Formats: sequence, C-alpha cells, structure tokens
Amino acid sequence: MAQNTKVADKPDVLEQPEILRPPTIAPLVTFPLEVVVPEGRQQTPAVGQRATRADGRLHGLGQTKYIDDMYFPNMLFAKIKRAGVASARIKSIDTKEAEAMPGVMAVITGRDIPCNSFGPSLKDQPVLADTRVFHAGDGVAAVAAVTEQIATEALDKIKVEYEMLTPVLDPLESLKLETPGVHAPSANVYGHKVIKKGDVEKAFAESDHIFEGTFRTQMVEHVPLEPHATIAQWDANGRVTLYSTLGRITLGRADISRTLGIPMSRIRVVATVVGGNFGGKNEITTEPALALLSKKTGRPVKCTFTRVEEFIASTTRHPLVMDYKTGVTKQGKILGRKIRLVLDGGAYCSWSETTLGKACILSAGPYNIENLYVEAFVVYTNKTMTGAMRGFGAPQVCYAYESHMDDIATALNIDPLEIRLLNVFEEGSLSPTSQKLHSVVVKESLLQAAKRFGWNTNGNESAKTNGGRS
Amino acid sequence: MKRRGRGMACMWYPIGFTVAANPSSAVVKMNEDGTATLLTGTVETGQGSLTILAQITAQELGIATDDVHVVSADTDATPMDTGAIASRTTYVTGNAARLAAEKCKKILFDVAAPMLGVKPSQLEAKDHKIIVKGFPQRNVHIGDVANHARLVTGEPPIGSASFNPETVALDPETGQGKPFGTYVYATQIAEVDVDDETGEVEVLRVVASHDCGTAINPMLVEGQVEGGISMGVGFALEEEILFDANGRQINPNLTNYIMPTSLDMPEVEVDIVDSYDPTGPFGAKGVGEPTLVPTAAAILNAIHNAVGVRIHSLPATAEKVYAAIKAKREQQPRQIGTGVPPAGGQPVAQ
Amino acid sequence: MVNVTLKVNGETRSASAPPETTLLRLLRDNFNLTGAKLGCDVGDCGACTVIVDGKPVNSCLMLVGQVDGREVLTIEGLATADHLHPLQKLFEDYGSLQCGFCGPGIIMSAKALLDENSAPTTQEIRDALGGNLCRCTGYAKMIEAIQVAASNLRGEPAMKSA
Repeated sequence: MAQNTKVADKPDVLEQPEILRPPTIAPLVTFPLEVVVPEGRQQTPAVGQRATRADGRLHGLGQTKYIDDMYFPNMLFAKIKRAGVASARIKSIDTKEAEAMPGVMAVITGRDIPCNSFGPSLKDQPVLADTRVFHAGDGVAAVAAVTEQIATEALDKIKVEYEMLTPVLDPLESLKLETPGVHAPSANVYGHKVIKKGDVEKAFAESDHIFEGTFRTQMVEHVPLEPHATIAQWDANGRVTLYSTLGRITLGRADISRTLGIPMSRIRVVATVVGGNFGGKNEITTEPALALLSKKTGRPVKCTFTRVEEFIASTTRHPLVMDYKTGVTKQGKILGRKIRLVLDGGAYCSWSETTLGKACILSAGPYNIENLYVEAFVVYTNKTMTGAMRGFGAPQVCYAYESHMDDIATALNIDPLEIRLLNVFEEGSLSPTSQKLHSVVVKESLLQAAKRFGWNTNGNESAKTNGGRS
Repeated sequence: MKRRGRGMACMWYPIGFTVAANPSSAVVKMNEDGTATLLTGTVETGQGSLTILAQITAQELGIATDDVHVVSADTDATPMDTGAIASRTTYVTGNAARLAAEKCKKILFDVAAPMLGVKPSQLEAKDHKIIVKGFPQRNVHIGDVANHARLVTGEPPIGSASFNPETVALDPETGQGKPFGTYVYATQIAEVDVDDETGEVEVLRVVASHDCGTAINPMLVEGQVEGGISMGVGFALEEEILFDANGRQINPNLTNYIMPTSLDMPEVEVDIVDSYDPTGPFGAKGVGEPTLVPTAAAILNAIHNAVGVRIHSLPATAEKVYAAIKAKREQQPRQIGTGVPPAGGQPVAQ
Repeated sequence: MVNVTLKVNGETRSASAPPETTLLRLLRDNFNLTGAKLGCDVGDCGACTVIVDGKPVNSCLMLVGQVDGREVLTIEGLATADHLHPLQKLFEDYGSLQCGFCGPGIIMSAKALLDENSAPTTQEIRDALGGNLCRCTGYAKMIEAIQVAASNLRGEPAMKSA
C-alpha cells in the first residue's frame, strides 16, 4: 500500500501531542437511581394510555447516546470533500498532498469503491463521484484523520480538476426534449405516471364553470437537529459494524453489501436513537466510504455531517409545478379534474419514484371525482438530490388542490366548508385509482374542526381590522 | 393595518408503500415473571414508535406498557423491518408486533388451560392475568403461567410474525388498482393576521382534526400534530433552499434558511377524530406525515381570506404577499367621491 | 495550548486544549459530558446551550480561554442523586421531547429563564426559547411543561396532570 512508503517521510504525529485528542476523564453526572414508573406506563389496558416514553427520561437527563456521543478507542474522524460545482466531468483527483499531512491516516476516492452505485429504485447515485459530478454536494473524496480539524484541513489539500458543464436548473426546461441530458445524453424525464378515470373532456363540456390554476412549491430541507452520523469498525473475521443514523437498516445493509461486494452476514447495522429523520436519513450516505476508510486504517472511523452538508449533501423535498383544471356545476359539484405535475427530481432518483406515485394518486384531493386525468413527470436537474420528505408530495399537492378549491368557492360564492362537504369522500367511496375506501372520516374531520374553530358562528372574517392576538 | 383571515384545508394520506411490499417482522418473548421483550427492526427517530409498539404488545398480552422492553434497530439481533418511513410503523410494524404477541399468548393459553381446567379458547389475557372468559375469579397470574411454561411444560412463550399490507398493482396506462392498505384523513383550519402594509403573516391559531384510527397514545398523537404543524408553518411562510445561476446553494445554513422557532408557532388545538380501522392493530392507522400535509394550504387560504390575494407559490414570504396586495390594489378601479386625489395630484371627479 | 481551570457542575476541573477549542468541544471531548450537542457549530440552533455564570450561552461560540475561572452548568448537573430537576420530570410527564436532540439545550435555556423570572408569561417563555431550534415537537408541550415547572418551583400545589 502506498501509505507504507510515506510513513518514513511524514513527521510522526506523536511529536505534536497537542493535536491528539486529550485523555478522557470520568464525566461529572449524578442522577436518581430510584426508579419511579409514571402511572400511564403501569395501567392496563395499555392502548389509549397517555403513556410517557421510556427514552423521555434519558433525553431530559442528557443521557441518550446519539452516534456523535459514541467514542471508541483509537477512533479516527472522517470528512468528505464536496464538489462545489453543479455539473462537471472529473478529469483528475490528486490526493498526495492530503495523504502526506501529519495526522491523516487514509484518503479514498470513488475509484476505491468496489461497486460505486446505489439507490432505492434507480441505482444512479455514486458513493463518491468518480467520473461525473451531478450536483454541488456530490462527494469526491473522503479523508480519515486523528482529529476532525485535521480531516477538514486535509480536504483543502485535495486537488480536483474539473471540466465544467452547463447545469440544468429549471424543471420545466429539463422537461423539454431538446435540453441536454443530466445523466443520459438526452431526455431528463426519469419517471412518468398517469391516472385515467372516466372522460375528463366530456365532463368539462358538461360543466357550468371551468377553473384553472397553477401552483408551485419550493425545495426545503428536513433540518433534523442531529446531523447524519456514522461510525464504522471491523473485526478480525472481516465483519463490519456500522453505527448509523439510518432509518432503514435492512435497506442500508443491502446497499452496503452491494457497494462493498461483501455478503450481508458480514455486515451489522445498528441505529441508536436518531435525532430526527423526517425522510432524510432513509438511505446510505457515507457508510460504504467509512467502511473502506476503517478497513484501510484498521481503526474505527466516525463521520458527522456539518450543517452545511445537511443542506447540500443530503436529500431535500421535491419542488413541484402543478397545473389544475376543474369543471364544476354551479352548485360547486366537481364533474371533472385534469392535473399535470412536474417534479424537480434533483441530481439522483433517490425516492422520486415513490414521491411521483404518491403525488399522482393524492393530487385530486379527498374528493369524489368520476372523471379524472392526472399526468405526472419527474425530471433530473443539477440541483441537490430530492428524496423522501415527510409527505412524499402530499403537502405540495394539498396546497394546490385546497387553494384551487377555495378559488372555486370564492368565485361561486359558496362557503369553503360547504363546497368541501359536497364533494368529499364517504365510507365506500372510490379513490382516483378505484380503490374502495374504508374507515373514511374526512367529513367528520371537517365538521369537527369547523365546530372547534367556530367556523359558522363567526361568519366570514374577511377584512376584519382588529389586529393582534385576542 | 392588520387584517384577520381564516382558511381551511382537508386532506387524505396513505399508510405504507405504494403497492410495493413493505413488510415488518417482530418477535415477542415473555420472561418467567410475565414481563416481555419485543424485538423489532424499526428505528426510533423521535416519533415515539417504540412506546406505541410496547403499548400494542402489552395490550395483546394483557400486561402494562412498562412491562414490555423494546429492543430495536440492530440487523444482527432484530427481525427485518422496512423502516420508519411512509407513516407505516404503527400500522405495519404494529400489526406484526400484535400478531407476534398473539402467537406468544397462544403458548401461554395452551399452558394455562389445564391449570384452570378449561380449553385454551375459553381464555383471555387481561390485567396481568390469564382469565376464564366470563369468570374473572378463575384466573392465574401471567407470570406463573410463563414460569410454568418454561420450567414444567418446557415451551418458553415466544412468538414471531410478519405483516405486509395487501395491495393490487396499478395498471400502467390508467393507474387503477389498490396501492395502499388504508388511508387517514384530516382537516386543519388556520387563523392568521396579515399586515397589508408589509405583507407579514402571523399564524395565530390552528385547529387540527386528525384521524389516526384508534389513538394508541393520544399524547404522542398530539406531539406529532404539533410538530407537523410547525413544519407546515415553515413550508408555508419561511423555508426555501435558494440556488445561484451555477447551481450552488446560496443559504445552506440555519442563519439564512429560515425555519420556525418558538416565536413563530401558533396556538395549536388538537382534535382526534373518532375512527376504527379493522385492518390495523386495535383499529390504529398512523399519523406521522399527515400532520404536516394540510397546514400550508390552510394558511394560504387564510391569507386569501384576509387580504383577497391568491399566492401561487410557496413560501408566502412577506415580500410575495405584499407584492400581491400591491398589485391587487393597483388593479382596483379608483373610488369616486372620496375627495382623495390619485397619485399625480389630479382631483377626482365629484 | 491554553490551560484553564473552571467549575463544571459544581466541581473544579482543569484542562489543556488548543486555543481554538470551543467550550462545547471542551465539555464533550475533554470532560465526556456529551449532553450539550453539536447541531450546527456556529450558534444558529442552540443545541449546545449551557449556563455560564448564570447566563445561557451557545457553547459552540465560546472559546476555551473565555471560560477560565468561570462556573459552567450543563444538563448533567441538574438532577441530583435523589431526584430529577422539575424541568426534567415535567418534560418527561408532558412528552415534551421527541427525538431529544434539542432537549438539553432547551432545558438549560428554560432553567436560565426560571432562575431569573419565577413567573414567566407564555410570551416570555417563547422568547427564552427563541434561540433553540426544535424540528420535532412544535414547542407546545415544552411551553406547557415549563409553565408547570415554574409553578412547582414557586411552591404552588400540583396542577393538572399531563
């Protein structure tokens, strides 16, 4: 290994002891050892109790061990170099200067990953970018060092030569066939779904009024308070243990097995309590790279994302462009609805297929619509990869279909509550995919919320000028 | 001037994966004193799933929540779970846990039946006891049964089970099929104040009526609703990742990516809608994601109600709202007879 | 290297660390007090909040040299061998924490508030928590629990249960 020939040249890190992590002292903590079990946890029957959480007490004491709170003897710290350019070909990566730094124990690039692609559906995402960069948060190299600070400094010493390409940033532009391809030579649409029910054009012809509206939503981040964190360590039998913030450990193990080319029985994935996920920690990020760094150095390796990496290098919510067209009777009954959705699918597929499917199915709203046509596309762009985020497209389409509904109600001078009661699902209604629905309580939720809010009693509040909180 | 408005939004949301198999497995084993351990591959991400699963397991075995210790999230030691995603844990993993507990209970009933001189089908588990149905005075403590099972009968009480929602694949041309096992429904109504001179929106109050099937733990449901609404407020009014012309994020930090703080939160009133889903564990469905879904819609409808402008893109920042108010004002015909001269100083015709 | 001597949770401790070391790293790496969390490292999220000489601070923004001779109180110093601090007890009862990562920072901000103001209004509680981000809970159950904690600390009889 090239590393061995450099050991003689590099100053021994032990000559600079201050850069090593100081010795651990026993923590100063006291806590009550007498166990008092809250009543809610002792009651039977258990279902329906306001039982307190077992981890609630540990959280309040600061005793919950998240991955970043775990330390192993001899542990190294890893950091990832981020591309910083949205679309480029990688011409060369020079890691020699970084490897020569005192305290740096290993550097790897995409070339070191045995099978450098993964993904929940399309396997289009690399562990570390090897020949192409598809978004500015792509990782291009990983460094393991004796302290986090040295690892971070080493990133600047890694020289990457790029051939810059023009990034595709707008999803509607990306939809056009003539726009250069992000991954493939052309055609950035990587998912397409259709729902077709009844005859929507006929319904429009029979409608008293037609309403149209276009709505757009933005890219947002999960912002879990705990950044992604992983620790990798091997044993002498060639078994690797990964402590990781993954929300899906079985899938994680499968991806690690595939990317590293080792059997699943040699991999253990352990997720302790995770400090918030919201969909952003549902696929692997640094795990295979860390496993390789750990193998190369023979030491446990920990990597935590910086907050900047949480934004640029983890998944985000799909921005949507949503076109709605609805035909109604003058009483406000929906006869037909036509919807087009364009999802900004970011640099990699990640959870886009699921989001596309859900957005498509949910886009018509909880309403009885016999004539429906929904067409949805997801396109690549050279922006941060979009993936699973709480709702998978539902918050976006709900904003659209409920804004649209209120626009219709306002135009027809019908109360927003009344128009919804007229159209919503009931027990046994058929969904847009003709599934017979059971345990349907959308009407009950409308009436209950309206009553609790005082919807009917206050009358229309528009243009009321009393400001401030009551 | 502050203008008050109110807006509502209703929604539906599915539980589990779209058509694709998303199974969960669980193992329930009982200790010799009647307490139990649940092994689950799911990951606690903060939502409280381990508490819910303990409650479901405890209910099936007739013991208390605190009697069930949950071991989770280890591919070596815990059975397969598709993961904490798609609001599926209460429904899918919950069903698996309940079925596993039922199998464990079957062993207990087989052991207890001769102890009580009845058939296993005549027994039920309640209040830490195995009881003859209809004759509660004929009972034996569950710990005694578990101990007897191990030491005398030689069959440690243990059960393992899997669950996967039944679906039907969607037709590729028409999208027709049965993609999910069940759905939840909700309505949120928001009350806002909009400052028509700055465009600033203050969300005062949100009433949220959510269906989650049986509420296994109402306190945790409230926590999910309150948390979801906070994310919804951010989605509606504040949060946005911005890119420059080269495709680099401009605000990848919490200074410039604005998300709700304690000062941005409205008063939240949580209402759990009465409902029971026979396909879920003890009638439960799920609640993790739905709580965020209608919030932005309700807030944007409230803005519309307050100042009569429809914002067509999120987030509805103050700049956007003010620009819309201004544009609307400019479109309105001038009022005659007020004596107020329009810009330019010309007197208005009387 | 900088040598510092300070009081942490009532006990005198010394450490030697590079001058750029933050109080947060000193607590977590040198003293193994991992209650204060690293959420952003630049003072935006409040997950690192501890109390220094009675004032709540973002420990990621304080350098080691600045805490020499000072008194630091962390989450680990709130409970005693006999009982939890009322804030910890009530946060447990009310289900105020979900993933728990923001918890130590929130509780220290709340403690600092209650030490200064024994009867805060809801708005004052919101203001005190304004520098602590939480993504899971929406703050509602925290505010409720802090109100009850304030009441308990004032010696009032126990209020409604969670």
